[in-house]
Amino acid sequence: MKLFKQKGGSDLHAAPPNAATTESVLRNVRGIRRVCRQLFGIPDYERYLAHAAARHPGAPVLSRREFCAKAIERKYGKNGPRCC
Amino acid sequence: MNKLTSILLWPLIAIIGAFSFAALALGRGEHVGAVWLVTAAVCVYFIAYRFYSKFISEKVLRLDDTRETPAERHNDGMDYVPTNRWVLFGHHFAAIAGAGPLVGPVLAAQMGFLPGTLWILAGVVVAGAVQDFIVLFASVRRDGKSLGEMIKMELGPTAGGLALVGVLAIMIIILAVLSLVVVKALTGSPWGLFTIAATIPIALLMGVYMRVIRPGRVGEASVIGVALLMLSLIYGRTIANDPTWGPLFTLDGPQLAWALILYGAIASSLPVWLMLAPRDYLSTFLKIGTIVALAIGIYYVAPPLAMPATTRFIDGTGPVFSGALFPFLFITIACGSVSGFHALISSGTTPKMIERESHMRLIGYGGMLMESFVAIMALTAACVLDPGIYFAMNAPAAAIGTTATNAAQVISSWGFTITPEMITQTAADIGENSILSRAGGAPTLAVGMAKILAQALGGKSMEAFWYHFAILFEALFILTAVDAGTRVGRFMIQDMLGHVYKPMGNTEYLPANLVGTGLCVALWGYFLYQGVIDPLGGINTLWQLFGVGNQMLAGIALLLCTSVLVKMKREQYVWVTLVPTAWLLVTTLTAGVEKIFHSDDRIGFVALARKFSAAAAEGRLLAPAKSIAEMQRVAFNNYLDAVVCGFFVLLVLAMCVFATKICLQALKQTKPTVHEIPPLAPAQGALA
Repeated sequence: MKLFKQKGGSDLHAAPPNAATTESVLRNVRGIRRVCRQLFGIPDYERYLAHAAARHPGAPVLSRREFCAKAIERKYGKNGPRCC
Repeated sequence: MNKLTSILLWPLIAIIGAFSFAALALGRGEHVGAVWLVTAAVCVYFIAYRFYSKFISEKVLRLDDTRETPAERHNDGMDYVPTNRWVLFGHHFAAIAGAGPLVGPVLAAQMGFLPGTLWILAGVVVAGAVQDFIVLFASVRRDGKSLGEMIKMELGPTAGGLALVGVLAIMIIILAVLSLVVVKALTGSPWGLFTIAATIPIALLMGVYMRVIRPGRVGEASVIGVALLMLSLIYGRTIANDPTWGPLFTLDGPQLAWALILYGAIASSLPVWLMLAPRDYLSTFLKIGTIVALAIGIYYVAPPLAMPATTRFIDGTGPVFSGALFPFLFITIACGSVSGFHALISSGTTPKMIERESHMRLIGYGGMLMESFVAIMALTAACVLDPGIYFAMNAPAAAIGTTATNAAQVISSWGFTITPEMITQTAADIGENSILSRAGGAPTLAVGMAKILAQALGGKSMEAFWYHFAILFEALFILTAVDAGTRVGRFMIQDMLGHVYKPMGNTEYLPANLVGTGLCVALWGYFLYQGVIDPLGGINTLWQLFGVGNQMLAGIALLLCTSVLVKMKREQYVWVTLVPTAWLLVTTLTAGVEKIFHSDDRIGFVALARKFSAAAAEGRLLAPAKSIAEMQRVAFNNYLDAVVCGFFVLLVLAMCVFATKICLQALKQTKPTVHEIPPLAPAQGALA
């Protein structure tokens, strides 16, 4: 909701209203997808990229394939038991 | 303004809650609406969360947002990630909610809806949520250490080692009992078995898709997986009615048991990305979706509770499980009120994702309240069924026979009037051949859910679909648990064997892996098979063994929490954990000792074993055994169950001694002696 208003407001001059709406909808969709991934414990590559860019700029990053393989292995490999 | 809202809101919630309880308590003699039960529970949760969890976080634990959490300290974008508290709340809930809160309350419904409801509510507020919350807190303050490691740190290495052996024993029993629930649900049910079997190729396809076809695209693979799952559910009926395919998917108990054992051995040896991970995603979607749908369904349909508040079976003569309300209700309903297994989750991945210490109140305490809500809904779903149908589904064949006519006669003689036509009609409605003696909770819950969901969506013709949907939902995450549990069990066995013979500890060494997997599967497979062929139903024995073990683990976790509080020099608040510890120890030790030594052979393992071995020695056959060899096996199995139960009892007593010693030492100290990571000034530029 907040994203929608901010984006819609600042982009009004730069682009026709339709484009601004589309973009903010897309951003919200991305937000929902991110929440879903975290909720269901699905590897979140975008979050990892953002983390890598913020914390270790310039350092080599894992590819999507490597990241997901590693995340799944870490989560299910030799991890603790799950619930009854 | 905020204060005013609060002053008005909380008394209002208290009044609604009190009114709901009044409706439950005063509605004797007529059917009470299920909505009252659910509303009463929700009000209790809100009040407990607002007041008791606030007290625990501010006064007892003194959560401190200036302290660094493990997620901040190690932030690696993968395991250690500071996560939004609401997202983590959902994640943690999905991790703790399994089959436990669905099965226990359904079994306990034989005593009526009231005893189960009261224990679920009182247990979660005072014991279960407190345990989850404080274990999470202890783990976060120790850099995300696991329960075993924390016991080692705070109670000493011997206690730590003992706890690990205990955890392995409980895991074996859990795997056996969960598999037994699946066997009971799928015996002679081709539609159910087909949809469950279909999840295997679907999961493999998803695994290959997200690894090879579109690497890392888990979301896309999941959408495909869910769509295929629904197709298999719809076409399951066609397959079941097919003259060639139908019989192929109609298996009896022992065949299903072997299939599950084989599945467990193979699935736990495959790479995790191929089957475990994709199936876990599917099961998490279904789990959250179904629980939300059930909550909406109960409010929308507002069914009446057909089960009376209490039944005559509180005296211990019930057909579903034997034993009186005290102590057996308190071990039958484990998850949903207090579950030792949660201590393993609360010290697993969740503490590595906590962003701020204050969030633990919502995630630890609140997450467990949510699980308790699931247990209340399961109890509701079982209690909206006609009691006659409930007992037809849950009483063993030894009690009600194998025909609808016989079952109806026996159950009516208990005071729950039912006709054979009602039994056969229910089976026809849900698209099954028979509903008799399907103990284990899952089928009963599925029938209750099918009734509720069909009234909300699709009407009577959709009942069969919803029934199989509910079975799929439960079996799916039980199979995930079997797969993951066998894997974890293997690591634990290898770890222990590694102390005896070094190469066995190497998890990369194939022969060692095979031995570890084989041992783990053989252990739970043995208990599963024994349960499947047990003429008294198996659940009767195994679920109680699991209950004793799980509650013992909760007792151990709470002993750890108590020691932590004492070592922090917060002894004025030690009652917060000491009261639930004491209650758990009293109920589970009583239950454990009664399970072993009770003179009634329906309760005591030793009494039943003696009865069978004495008769076998005289050459007499006791029903339902058909040969002397079978009699001897019954005797042996009961002695074995007594040994396992005795092990749990001794384990928790030993832990009591360790904890008491540590607490007495800590009381003499003037300064905290706890092994926490000391507080640091938060890093520059950290989130305020």
